[in-house]
This record gives sequence, C-alpha cells and structure tokens, in this order.
Amino acid sequence: MLKVFKYTLIDLARNRFVLGYAVLMLLVAQGLFSLEGDPTKALLSLVQVVMALVPSIALVFTVVYFYDIQEFTQLLAVQPMRRGAILGGQVLALAVALLLAQAIGLGLPLLVHSPTLAALVLSLSGSGLVLVFISLGALIALKQREKARGVGVALAIWFLLVLVYDALLMWGMFTLSDYPIEPFVVPFAGVNPIDLARIMVMLQVDLAAMMGYSGAIYKNFFGTQMGMAVAGLIMMVWVLVPGWSAMRAFNRKDL
Amino acid sequence: MPDARITFEGVGKRYGKLWALRNVECAFHPGEVVMLIGPNASGKTTLIKCLLGLVRPTEGRITVNGEAIGSDPAYRTAIGYMPQISQYPATLTIGQLLEMMADVRGMSNNEPDDRLVEGLGLSAQLNKRLSSLSGGTKQKVSAVLALRSRPSILVMDEPTAGLDPLSSKRVLERAAAVRDAGGTVLITSHLMEEVEALADRVAYLEEGSLRFLLPVQEILVRAGTKRLSEALPRMLESRALCNA
Repeated sequence: MLKVFKYTLIDLARNRFVLGYAVLMLLVAQGLFSLEGDPTKALLSLVQVVMALVPSIALVFTVVYFYDIQEFTQLLAVQPMRRGAILGGQVLALAVALLLAQAIGLGLPLLVHSPTLAALVLSLSGSGLVLVFISLGALIALKQREKARGVGVALAIWFLLVLVYDALLMWGMFTLSDYPIEPFVVPFAGVNPIDLARIMVMLQVDLAAMMGYSGAIYKNFFGTQMGMAVAGLIMMVWVLVPGWSAMRAFNRKDL
Repeated sequence: MPDARITFEGVGKRYGKLWALRNVECAFHPGEVVMLIGPNASGKTTLIKCLLGLVRPTEGRITVNGEAIGSDPAYRTAIGYMPQISQYPATLTIGQLLEMMADVRGMSNNEPDDRLVEGLGLSAQLNKRLSSLSGGTKQKVSAVLALRSRPSILVMDEPTAGLDPLSSKRVLERAAAVRDAGGTVLITSHLMEEVEALADRVAYLEEGSLRFLLPVQEILVRAGTKRLSEALPRMLESRALCNA
C-alpha cells in the first residue's frame, strides 16, 4: 500500500488541479481577510465558502481522478498485490494531497490573520469534509462505469447535501413551527456532514446566540465534550462507511 | 508435453445476460507460445482478464502451476502482462514508472532486465513525462513492464498494435525468448504474419467459446495448405475440420 501511496502522491504533487485548489483557497481566504476589517466577519464568510467549495472540489476531483487512472489501476491489479492495498494507497495519497493543498490555501491565511480556536475548528472541519468527500468520491467512481455518469452523481450528491437538505430542514422547521421540534433538529442537522461542520464552527464564534432556540440546543449538545466527540464520531462514520463500501466494491469489481 | 502451467476448467463469464466466455476447457504448457485469435468481442480479452484475476469467472476454475487462482495475488509474481491500451499517471516519468513497478513487484534495482529499455530506444527518454509520450512509445513502455521481471507466464494483448516494425520485431523476439526459457506465452493478435512466425499452437475463440486449440502444423495439415493465413479461413468454414 505504501508503494502505491508514494507514487500516487508523486503524481498528485504535480497535478495542476491540486496546485490550483491550493492557490484558489489561498486567494479566497487572503482576499476575504484583506477586504474585511473584522477577522471574525471574514472568518464567517470563509465558513460559507469552505462549506460549499471543499465538498464539491474533493468529490468531483476524486471521481475524475479515479476514472483517469482506471487503466493504470488495472495494471496495478495484475501485480502480486492485494486490491485493498491499491485502493488504500490511492485514497490515502488523494487525502494527503488535498489536505496539504488545503493546509496551504486555508490553514496558512487562518494562522496569519485569525489564530483562534474558531479558525482551528474551521481547519479541522474542512479537513474532515475533505476526507468524507474523498471517501464518497471513491465509492461513486467504483460504482459507476461511465465517467460522465459518475461526475453527474457526484454533483447531485453535493447539491443534495449543500442545498436540498438544508432547504428541506428549513421547510420542515417552518411548517412544524407550532410544535416543539427543536430537539429533533440536532440529529437531523448532525446527519449531514456539511451542516455538522458548519455548526461546529458557528458554535466557536458564538453565533449560536443569534440562532435562537435551535442555537441553544446545538450549543447545549455540541458545545460539550460529549457533543464534540459525537460530532467527530459522525464524521468518522461518514468517512469509514463509504470507504468500506468502496473497498468492497473494488474487491468485487471486474476491471 | 510437460504438465500444464495454466488450465481453464469449464470457465464461463457472464455480463448480465451476455456470456462473454462459455465453458472454456484448455491447458497451456511451459515452453510454448499460444496465439489467441478470433473476431472482435469473441472473448479473447475476457479470457486473459480471467487468468490475470481482473475478472472473476461466473463459473469454472483456473489453475496456475497447479493451484486454483483465488484471492491470493502471489501467483501473479510469475506473470508479465502487456495490455492492449496503456494509460499511465500523467505526471510520472518513464523512469519513475519503471522504478515503481519494480518496487511493487519487490525487485531490487539490479534485478530487472533492462536490455529491452535500450533495445526499444527508451534509455534516452527515461526522464520524459508519460503524458508527453506517443501511443507507440507508451506501448514500448508496456512491453518493458511486462518483460523486465523475466516472467514465466507472459500475457500480451495485441502487443504490436501501434509499434514500428523494428520495435515489433524486438518485442516478439523477447516473447520467443521467454518461450525458449521454458515460459508460457499467450498472445492475442489479428495479424496472421505474427501468428505464423511465433505460434506453437493457435486457439480460436468465437462468441465466447473455444472452437479449437491446435498446433500450427496440425492446422496446416487439416486444411491442406502451407500457409496459416489460408488455413485458418478454411478451418473456420468447415466445422468438420475444427472437430476432426
């Protein structure tokens, strides 16, 4: 696995898309901190950008990369090595490459302009999202034979988690506003990794107070050590379940 | 004939409702070159992929050196494979790719046989990125990857497609050398001259079924001609000749 990891990482280190991702994040983060005098406000704007951009880039890039190296993966699969080692090495290399790009593009500006706990949580949440969407991307690429279809499914999942899920949650909260539904909002929001990441950052900049009763519930739950641990666990489930399914699909796949 | 190195025992592969391979029974021996021929979509590539473990047969069993192939990839140490289409990570160089594959196969730097790298004119291009190579040069790289570990089983899928005549000759010479060293060589080809020059036996696949697997001499005798390019059409026109 380490051999596949090493050479996939060498390939990714020279990949223009990965370099472009680092530069794009750097420009966005630096731009927001330069334009906005208050670092907290800049951080909040950055949260919205990260929550939309990171999942889409990690998901689409992973899907496209897996299709692009399909024939090479086939060549690796006829070598005396287990398929698990091939997929494991490739996924690990993708994760390291995108996390490094994100550390440069997002981590550095945050460290310079806003070295706070909220910035650290944003960095960690962004990293968690990278891992979640690489895992999902690998699963999509291995389940869909055609590249166009795979990219389509990836975009549909991104759209569902970034926009549709929130819209449905808001609609539900609005429609059922006469009932005490807030306790159910926490698990529903927590199921979506993007919402979960957003909540974790928002709690650190103390915006929960502006989110009304729901915000108080979020704070009561996710603000505790237990809540943080649950949030981490949910993120881990989002990484491991698609990752395990991808591994299973790859082991059974006719290449 | 020595014991079979590779056997296919009732091997079938189905994709949905379509049988790409059906009840294939055959054995390949050390020290022979078998040419797999047949029309497009006849099952040649599927047969090769089953042997390589890329495709899981729906039914039947394949053995290599007497052991049924399963989830243990160790048997592939003996196999060199040259695919029909070569696509490599765009930003790696030829040198890095060769190093990687040697690494993956657990070979030391001194172990690989790199005469073919020179023979195919790749020595001066080792620092070139794979994305900048022509289709023919990528084929040469594939040939090197398949041959440099000195495999005892060599599998080549249309090996000379896209290669210049001199490189084709060198690659086929190396395939013959593997045979002469006691290896088993399986090659798919549409080129009768290649088949004629190299084959010890010819396997003809049609619609997923093996119609015949015969020594070249026997095909010529049955068809009553001295040229394989004439004999094969005669064989295919007459079911009786195939079954005789």
